[in-house]
Amino acid sequence: MRRPYEKLRNYVLGWGVSRSNGMRGMRGFMGISLRRIKVSQGVLSILPVIIILIFIRFYPMVMAIYRSFTNWNGLYRSDWIGLDNYVKIFTNSPFWTLLRNSLVLLTTVPLQLMIGIFVAVLLYEEVKGWRFFRTIIYLPQIIAAVTIGYLFRVAFSLDGPVNLVIRRMSLDFLAIEWLGNTATALGVLVFCLTWFSIGWQAIVILGGMSKISPDVFEAAKMDGANFWQRTFYVVIPMISRTIEYAVIMSMVWTLTSIFAFIYTITAGGPGYETSTIDYMIYTKFYQAGAPYGFASALAVILLIIILTITVVEMRYTNKVSEWE
Amino acid sequence: MLSKFNQKLSAVLIFLVLLVLSISNLYPLFYMFMNSIKSRTDYFINPFSVWDLILTWDNYLTMISQFKILNLFKNSFIISFFTIILLLSIGVVASYAFSKLNFKGKNILYLLVISTMFIPVQATIIPLYVFFSRLHLVNTYWSVVFIYVGMFIPEVILLMTSGFRGIPDELIEAAKLDGAGYFNILRYVIVPMGRPAIILCVIFYYIVTWNDLFTPMILLQSMDRRTVMVALAALLSRYSGDPTFQFAGLVLASIPAILVYAIFQRYIIMGISLGSTK
Repeated sequence: MRRPYEKLRNYVLGWGVSRSNGMRGMRGFMGISLRRIKVSQGVLSILPVIIILIFIRFYPMVMAIYRSFTNWNGLYRSDWIGLDNYVKIFTNSPFWTLLRNSLVLLTTVPLQLMIGIFVAVLLYEEVKGWRFFRTIIYLPQIIAAVTIGYLFRVAFSLDGPVNLVIRRMSLDFLAIEWLGNTATALGVLVFCLTWFSIGWQAIVILGGMSKISPDVFEAAKMDGANFWQRTFYVVIPMISRTIEYAVIMSMVWTLTSIFAFIYTITAGGPGYETSTIDYMIYTKFYQAGAPYGFASALAVILLIIILTITVVEMRYTNKVSEWE
Repeated sequence: MLSKFNQKLSAVLIFLVLLVLSISNLYPLFYMFMNSIKSRTDYFINPFSVWDLILTWDNYLTMISQFKILNLFKNSFIISFFTIILLLSIGVVASYAFSKLNFKGKNILYLLVISTMFIPVQATIIPLYVFFSRLHLVNTYWSVVFIYVGMFIPEVILLMTSGFRGIPDELIEAAKLDGAGYFNILRYVIVPMGRPAIILCVIFYYIVTWNDLFTPMILLQSMDRRTVMVALAALLSRYSGDPTFQFAGLVLASIPAILVYAIFQRYIIMGISLGSTK
């Protein structure tokens, strides 16, 4: 196992010196220096991560914050213009439409959660074939958002399957252009995101439920609690930490990771009617004149929204668990 | 008697509800596949039809010969592959340090690393694009790989650290007494014992990187570097397109991820229920 050059390498790198036989007896009085070697081992181990994070996450984030106060175009124009970008965003841009859309799409979180808890409770009963059902229920998460988005666009197009079914039921007045107007297009997005996320919610909740002792359920059953009572008075209170985690994650996900769905279903249109903040950053990236300073300001606002959600939510839920 | 009957009844009801849900998840995929092997006329007559059709693999052949989808597969695969290699090599070492070594500032560093999870990639993409174009890295696989590593490393560390914490300290001490150094401890103790977390990371981030659209769409604009999702998204955005042809492309692009899921679904379900990844 040991190779001749290993000793030299250990000496050069300062790794694993404590293992060489000559040093073992000295552990006592060389405690300090050995601890220092351990320090460098730990720090060296996480050094690659720190470097990657500095270049890929911290540096661009700081740059985005700084450039949001300039009229940057990605090249050499980068004059300090103070809060102009922010003023423009709040007064003369579709920002409020984007915010409204994000709020509408956030309504999927409680929807997903309720259906997810329901499905998890059903899976928990372990009826015949539940493992198979569990696999299939999680399946949408494996399919690319591009694929799901396109399926929804085809389904809700003017002559798509949904309208075909509606027409066959001779409800022609309902066979509208779903993606052509704001309200129904947002409705389709809400439907799509909910359908996509049920599996994730169900599996996360099921994971939380598996930590509850089965005796609790037995006791509840003995006391004559029915299905709904067990769900509301036993399951939900006992997995509040899991629910908290699921809510934070899906809120952040809804605000940041649904680009591909919007791109394939509505392309943010008509106009900016179904765009969200992250989608507008993307459109600004390709816009003529490269308004990167403006886009950076949007990015900063998105960042602040997400930080607020996570901090507020963690504070709030911590308080709740203190009251209990 | 009655309660037993009730139990049977509720089991049947639950089974039926789960069945309906499963069908609602499977039918879109079936619809997509059926229509991808139909002729265009059959599709426009009735997209739901299943029987009495003239089936054809033409769409798939065109996808391979004209659209060069296998070339796109290669691009996607290279990016996923190097992302995973980097995530693992950096992640295992760092998670070992976070879970088993003691050093000053460990907890605060851990918190800092994990909290970068919440920085949305859209917030950093423009400075990153400009940064990479100065380094002449735009339109290379590495640009996307580096961003993926930065994006996913906190989750990987979260997952692996919690996995590695379960490894008994005695094993590491015993290995040390046997003369194992840093790398041998990783090789003979941490990696074999922490295998579930490592396998989960490989599978999960293979699927995530394969399916991702945003980052490669911004950074890979040249035709011969695009990933399969970027190319398909461009194809789909032409509204006048031929749906049966596009379905064929989407079916092909879904196969690698579904295949991996079919084989390793136990690990993925386990990982999600541990509550560490989204």
